[in-house]
Amino acid sequence: MKLKNKTICMLGAAALAGLLFSVGGQAGSLQPGPETDNGYQEPLVFSHGPAGVMFSHKAHVEGAGLECDDCHPKIFKMENGSTEAKGDVNMASLDKGKYCGACHNGDVAFSTKNPEYCVTCHGSPMQKPKTIVFTEPVKAVLFDHKMHTEEMGFECSACHPKLFRMKVGDAESQPDKFVMKALYAGKYCGACHNGDNAFASDTKCTTCHIGVLGYDRLFSGKKGAKKKEEHSEH
Amino acid sequence: MNIKELEKLRNEGTDSVSSRERRTFLRAGLAITGLFLGGTVMSLTPVKKARAALGGMDLEKKYPYKPHYSMVIRQNHCVDCERCKEACVKTNHVPSYGYRTTIFERYKIIGPAETERIFMPVLCNHCNRPPCVRVCPTHATYKDKKTGIVMMDIKKCIGCKTCMAACPYDARYFNEEIRAIDKCNFCYDTRLSKGMKDTACVAACPAHVRVFGDISDPDSEVYKLVHQPDKVVWVLRPETGTLPNVFYMND
Repeated sequence: MKLKNKTICMLGAAALAGLLFSVGGQAGSLQPGPETDNGYQEPLVFSHGPAGVMFSHKAHVEGAGLECDDCHPKIFKMENGSTEAKGDVNMASLDKGKYCGACHNGDVAFSTKNPEYCVTCHGSPMQKPKTIVFTEPVKAVLFDHKMHTEEMGFECSACHPKLFRMKVGDAESQPDKFVMKALYAGKYCGACHNGDNAFASDTKCTTCHIGVLGYDRLFSGKKGAKKKEEHSEH
Repeated sequence: MNIKELEKLRNEGTDSVSSRERRTFLRAGLAITGLFLGGTVMSLTPVKKARAALGGMDLEKKYPYKPHYSMVIRQNHCVDCERCKEACVKTNHVPSYGYRTTIFERYKIIGPAETERIFMPVLCNHCNRPPCVRVCPTHATYKDKKTGIVMMDIKKCIGCKTCMAACPYDARYFNEEIRAIDKCNFCYDTRLSKGMKDTACVAACPAHVRVFGDISDPDSEVYKLVHQPDKVVWVLRPETGTLPNVFYMND
């Protein structure tokens, strides 16, 4: 009997300790939100255009020492989304000196034509290139960005935007063109995967084709469904 | 009969049991024991009955049916897009818990730290010596006398699932909706009997992995694919002696 009482006491104490600990833990985890002291927004991500582009206010104001009126409102109106709404923000207009191209012409700042700098705005750490799983026209084909860039040392410009435009789902949006026949003709992956530079695209099918089984393995359960959503957002 | 009354009966001894009766009894006992020791359900069915179920088919002849329907799987072309599965499900109303055809995945080691993914489409092999037909107690599954397709008469099926146990290819499932076994019949009811020349899976395949036709016709694509002296053609589980009509090759 005594022993039983003791056990209950101990359990109670343990429960109490647990409760205190969890409350303490919660208080401790209250952390200040993202830095907003400098007054700038989080870096802007233009993701509605043809390609995901990142622009950091902080880098331009604090890093490069620009004033607000260097860009606003002459080059960019001070309304969120107004530039994108114009619909002519593309590499061609930038190359002509519009928008970012006003400074990014090779004289004031790096040129938008210089392929070395594509990655600075496109696919910077904020938009790390992911492993792509194509589901059109057939399910499912894997492309490993990391293997091609880090292990094989390709620059972004090796494929973008000539072979693949810098927009997730762009090639897939034309399922009748993004086919093996096009690859054999040297388009898309076939530009390198021709048997000379990399294994020919009419061999080793299952190196890239992971199939529905591979797709389900990658995106199984709820977690997978979420991943899929994230993917389609870009 | 009451077991207590049985106990009171006099032991007749073995003298009154004929040699023939004893042998039958022993054979049945050994067959059932063998089944539990890991044998197949085939041991429960005599071969004689199996021959009868095949309609006295001439096993010596190479392709005894006309048309002798057959499928060739060009395995290395399969990328598991599963359009065949989708088409099959749609055409034959296959529920989610079963399949008439599916795709398996295997890995083959082809070098140090290098493996090859292999996709293997599977379906009913429409065997010339089908174990399922041999074991069916109600003749609900049978070999079609004209085409050689292993078919189901769902009205006769009692759902005993013995055919599922006998099939070495796991090509059968119990359909809850029709309360009978369902399986691939080369789309006989849904396509072939309506004049179409191929099955739903063949029509849906974007890589021409599945080739379907009459293998008794030397001009057919299936015949030409299988009869190439420089190509390796194989069937699944040949050791079971089922003589499948689904052939596999890499080309």
